[in-house]
Amino acid sequence: MADVILKDIRKTFGVLDVIKGVDLDIKSGEFVVFVGPSGCGKSTLLRMIAGLEDITSGTLEIGGQVMNDVDPSKRGIAMVFQSYALYPHMTVRENMGFALRFAGQDKAEIARRVDAAAKILELGPLMDRKPKALSGGQRQRVAIGRAIVREPDVFLFDEPLSNLDAELRVHMRVEIARLHKELNATIVYVTHDQVEAMTLADKIVVLRAGIVEQVGAPLDLYDDPANLFVAGFIGSPRMNVFAGRVIGASGTSALVSLDGFADKEIAVPLQGPVPSAGTPIRLGIRPEHFTDAGEDSLSITIDMFEHLGGETFAYGRSTSGETIVVTTRNGRSLSTGHVLKAGFDPTRALLFAEDGKRIR
Amino acid sequence: MTAISTSRAVPASRASRVLPRAATYVALSVAAFVSVFPFIWMMISSTNTSIDIIKGKATFGRAFSNNVANFFAQVDVPLVFWNSAKVAILATLLTIAVSSLAGYGFEMFRSKMRDRIYSLVLLTLMVPFAALMIPLFMMMGKAGLINTHIAILLPTVASAFIIFYFRQATKAFPTELRDAAKVDGLKEWQIFLYIYVPVMRSTYAAAFVIVFMMNWNNYLWPLIVLQSNDTKTITLVVSSLASAYYPDFGVVMIGTILATLPTLLVFFVMQRQFVAGMLGSVK
Repeated sequence: MADVILKDIRKTFGVLDVIKGVDLDIKSGEFVVFVGPSGCGKSTLLRMIAGLEDITSGTLEIGGQVMNDVDPSKRGIAMVFQSYALYPHMTVRENMGFALRFAGQDKAEIARRVDAAAKILELGPLMDRKPKALSGGQRQRVAIGRAIVREPDVFLFDEPLSNLDAELRVHMRVEIARLHKELNATIVYVTHDQVEAMTLADKIVVLRAGIVEQVGAPLDLYDDPANLFVAGFIGSPRMNVFAGRVIGASGTSALVSLDGFADKEIAVPLQGPVPSAGTPIRLGIRPEHFTDAGEDSLSITIDMFEHLGGETFAYGRSTSGETIVVTTRNGRSLSTGHVLKAGFDPTRALLFAEDGKRIR
Repeated sequence: MTAISTSRAVPASRASRVLPRAATYVALSVAAFVSVFPFIWMMISSTNTSIDIIKGKATFGRAFSNNVANFFAQVDVPLVFWNSAKVAILATLLTIAVSSLAGYGFEMFRSKMRDRIYSLVLLTLMVPFAALMIPLFMMMGKAGLINTHIAILLPTVASAFIIFYFRQATKAFPTELRDAAKVDGLKEWQIFLYIYVPVMRSTYAAAFVIVFMMNWNNYLWPLIVLQSNDTKTITLVVSSLASAYYPDFGVVMIGTILATLPTLLVFFVMQRQFVAGMLGSVK
């Protein structure tokens, strides 16, 4: 186990800035997930930690040692790839022991470590098979096993569950979480799937266009996003965002009127100063924060449903045409064209400035 | 009325399915016959006397053993086959080693000059060998390599076509395997040797068949640089038999059959890998 510290890490490809100065402190034993949309630089950042991409500037420390120019095999890392990257001409046992064999470990030690990893991952019956004779989930377990036998300080996972079907993904997610507990290892994990991020991470790093937008515990990011991007990215379905403006103050609350709901005046409690009247704002309300009851409510005409069994996502629009998603447990009683009074608690609504920054 | 129109429609649709297929089989049969006929004619002719062959006899005769005996009497068969095998195998191995390294390098390493250099390599495919013969001969002469097998090997070692073939095949090689190998501690040459070569073995097999055939059948360049009988390959020897003042075509046919056997053997032994290699190595 080791800390991983990134100080002003940058990466450029020619004239293109891909990573624009990332500072990050990953504690020993922590499970950190890099999350963000495609092309945000999360995989590049992981590959820079692995040593598979050069660091243009900045400092990378693993276990207190600067690793910028250290060979990938000497960084104390092991990596699990999206496509598993198992050597197709080797058996499972050979795949798992390959790095140790190359590092000059004696055969008995290789066998001990490989067998131990196989036991953890229940790979025993598969050890003499070649990768093409394995299912996707089995290949993924072998890839994880190959990482485990190296006994690395840091595990790096690059979208390891992307190629699995939905059921297997859930199963492997649980396996990885169990593995983290068992090994108590430092894990850096890249995904674009926010459910994986929310369920696995001790700490989530939200990236956009090579910049860290916010770092924090999953629920902190969910409850207290730093900006509209994080608010929209964390949580499914996405947070509803309404344009409006401040029309006054009531104590520590900002009185807000929404463009799509002209008749509404919503008091949003703030910790800091209330913006001056007339300031354009964005009000964010998560779909699951709409309730039947609620201090305030919005009238929504329902256009479409997504029934998930236990709950329903109802897609509707305001009188001015703004799209709104509401999560409800009473979806069976709704119908298209139905006008829904979606109540909400204004203390759960989040206020953002026009540039997307959070107003707290 | 309805019943009649239905009964007419069925045979019409069957005919529309059968006729194109029949036409395809006829075309394929003609192509197969045209391809195989020279080989059959060679086999038949090897059993006939030279006079019968000239007369155009197209049935099996009784001169086979006599032709074989004459061939072995006129040709130092072990030496000629040794020369051919040595040249073909060494040239094939060297060509594949150099060209696969080049193909791997062109695909794996990014550089501003990469595509320009690669275009130059491909441009060499446009230069006919006739334009290269004299400069090559002069170079070999200056290097004192005329009448040596090295003179045959050197010009074939870097083949633009095989470099192209390996680069195209390398596009299917997963880059994550290379990354995984780097994390496992392998240097670039080790990745090439321990990961790339085994993973791409079908590509290598297909390249081996192609390059071996090219080298075994190589005629023009060996004809120019090999001048003594000690160094001549089977193609040159058969050719010299055919161009004698009174050629014995029965003997020539025996030589041609023997010259064909190794390439057939290589193809049949590596047939499965050859097909896999042509379709793409990585599964």
